[in-house]
Amino acid sequence: MKRDGKVSMRLSFIAPRKKHFFSMFTKIWLIFIALVIVLLSIFNVFVLFKTLEYKSSVVNLESQRKSLASTIEETDKKIRFIVRQKAIAEEIYANNIILKDSMKNLFDLVPDQITLNKVLMKKYSLIIYGVTPTKDTFNSLLAAPLKSIFHTSKTVFYLTQDGWYNFVSTNKIISPDKLEEQ
Amino acid sequence: MDKSMEKIDSVKFLIYLLVFILITLFMVLFLIVPTIKDYRSSMGVYKTVLVQKLSVESLLKEKKKELLDLRTENKRVIASFMHTFTTKNFIAYAGTFFNAVSLVEVEKKGYKDEFREYQLRVSSQLKSPTKFYDFLEGLNRYENIVQADFPIHMESNSSIIKSSFTIKVYDLNATR
Repeated sequence: MKRDGKVSMRLSFIAPRKKHFFSMFTKIWLIFIALVIVLLSIFNVFVLFKTLEYKSSVVNLESQRKSLASTIEETDKKIRFIVRQKAIAEEIYANNIILKDSMKNLFDLVPDQITLNKVLMKKYSLIIYGVTPTKDTFNSLLAAPLKSIFHTSKTVFYLTQDGWYNFVSTNKIISPDKLEEQ
Repeated sequence: MDKSMEKIDSVKFLIYLLVFILITLFMVLFLIVPTIKDYRSSMGVYKTVLVQKLSVESLLKEKKKELLDLRTENKRVIASFMHTFTTKNFIAYAGTFFNAVSLVEVEKKGYKDEFREYQLRVSSQLKSPTKFYDFLEGLNRYENIVQADFPIHMESNSSIIKSSFTIKVYDLNATR
């Protein structure tokens, strides 16, 4: 096939195929891989975001719990204070009523024949000054009940000009502290 | 035209498939699984903390209710402790039972941390001891917390009884 001393190219019957760097199959394969990577990454970011959300919620809840706990402590303090106030008030009210009753009992104890001039009441002692027609009247009507109430009871009589007796009755209760010591 | 789709080599296809599966598996194992683990543990911590917070919240609610109930129940006692004691008001109150009331401050002392205790000596005159009983009973309804205390001194003088006794006043304001 030499013509004019030159090698002539024979033309091909088919058009030359365009050569691709990647074949179609490889391209589809790469697209699948890329798609999986992208989808899994999106999913991963989504889960990471949710995790962060939980973590920040935990911090938030913890601080809320702490502030609630301190409010509980304050409320407890207020409750304890009111309970104490109530207990003290009840004790005081009871003491007032006890005092009233003991005063009433003392005056009810005194018979009509005996007149009291002076009463000195302390926590653990009672001193009574008064006038009695006879020593026996005092001893039987007032001294006996006084002796049953107090631990020690002593009476001194002074004869008056009109034949009656002035008396000073000193009665004592041993305080609970001393009783415990004994 | 690319004929690669028409003539797929089965060995090549298997290799490609294997590589694809390996990449997917790698991503799942080394990316998704640790993230999910972290997510699940965070969710666990969140649930625990939420339960704790809710229980503390309900406890606070109970405590607040208890406080409110106590305040309502002891309204008068709380008000009495808060009320500032004035000798003028007390003399006016005592005047309804006694004649010629006078008050002398004996001492001021601390009492159980928060409360301040005053001791006052009351000197008065009364016609019959029953007035004294009424006074003691009425003391429990007075605007302040007041306790009548020993020593009590009573002396009859013609038609009247001279009396003197101590009162202890508990004042919360005095400590502030």
